[in-house]
Amino acid sequence: MMNDDFVIADVKLKSRLFLGTGRFANPTVQNEAIAASGTEVLTFAIRRVNLQEPNEDGILQHLDLDRFRFLPNTSGAKTAEEAVRIARLARASGISNWIKVEICANDKTLLPDPVETLKATEQLVKEGFVALPYTSDDPILCKHLEEAGAAAVMPGASPIGTGLGVLNPYNLSLIVEEANVPVIVDAGIGSAKDVVEAMELGVDGVLLNTAVAEAKDPAKMAKAMKLAVEAGRYSYLAGRIEKRRYAKASSSTTGYLSK
Amino acid sequence: MRLTVNGEEKRLPHVKNVAELVAHYKLEDKLVVVEIDGDVVDRSEWQSMELQEGMSIELVHFVGGG
Repeated sequence: MMNDDFVIADVKLKSRLFLGTGRFANPTVQNEAIAASGTEVLTFAIRRVNLQEPNEDGILQHLDLDRFRFLPNTSGAKTAEEAVRIARLARASGISNWIKVEICANDKTLLPDPVETLKATEQLVKEGFVALPYTSDDPILCKHLEEAGAAAVMPGASPIGTGLGVLNPYNLSLIVEEANVPVIVDAGIGSAKDVVEAMELGVDGVLLNTAVAEAKDPAKMAKAMKLAVEAGRYSYLAGRIEKRRYAKASSSTTGYLSK
Repeated sequence: MRLTVNGEEKRLPHVKNVAELVAHYKLEDKLVVVEIDGDVVDRSEWQSMELQEGMSIELVHFVGGG
């Protein structure tokens, strides 16, 4: 695709698909899915080491660290303060200064807390992080996050893990219209159709996890998502036709054989 | 030495610094990050950072997540 670079914090990415690493059945299935997805950006969470089993596998042991960019998240944080603390721990690992700001204050919906998300983003940008906040699909909030220095804004399509797809295409399209930073739809994707729908709205990328990890064939679904991101992007750039109420023949309306 | 490690009370008589604590759990070759009383301790400081009675220590790592 000519002149259609996808750049986050001066890093040019070939793939517009970000993949989460949760909920895969095992590392083999996960690696097959990662390879099939073509993704360059993987997300992770930070948790305590289990002191009873300190030798159980860490997620990164099975990955070629040089091939990917890492986007740790601040999941588990319920306040800006907790998110900043998790972000500092993630950065101290030495593998990335990118951070997905994720602050969920409601256990049932896991919807992001807009006030705390904005506060955390402001603080993390001050501390030199490349902050990519997971946010509500609110155009004004996304603007505030951008002004706070977010490297991208990541509105949800629908709540995390639901697979409900794009619930508010109107809001997402407004966010795209207004944004001067990349817009990445994060969370709620159920299948390739949802990815195409999001990409056709003009978003720059998609972050998903459960839809691949819990598909019956994760590697096949990962491939589907890769193609859907590309199809949706091309379709958006190509410019779709106007919808019409009535039919319009695709062949010439003269020269019919019968009258 | 009485310490709180990942929220659990521990008695670790032979552990004097962060490097020894990490080694105690056989984590020295893993990508773990250490926090003491709310502050990150860089890997380069593990040897020199002496542990004190009652410190609250977090040993964290990356796990799968979206």
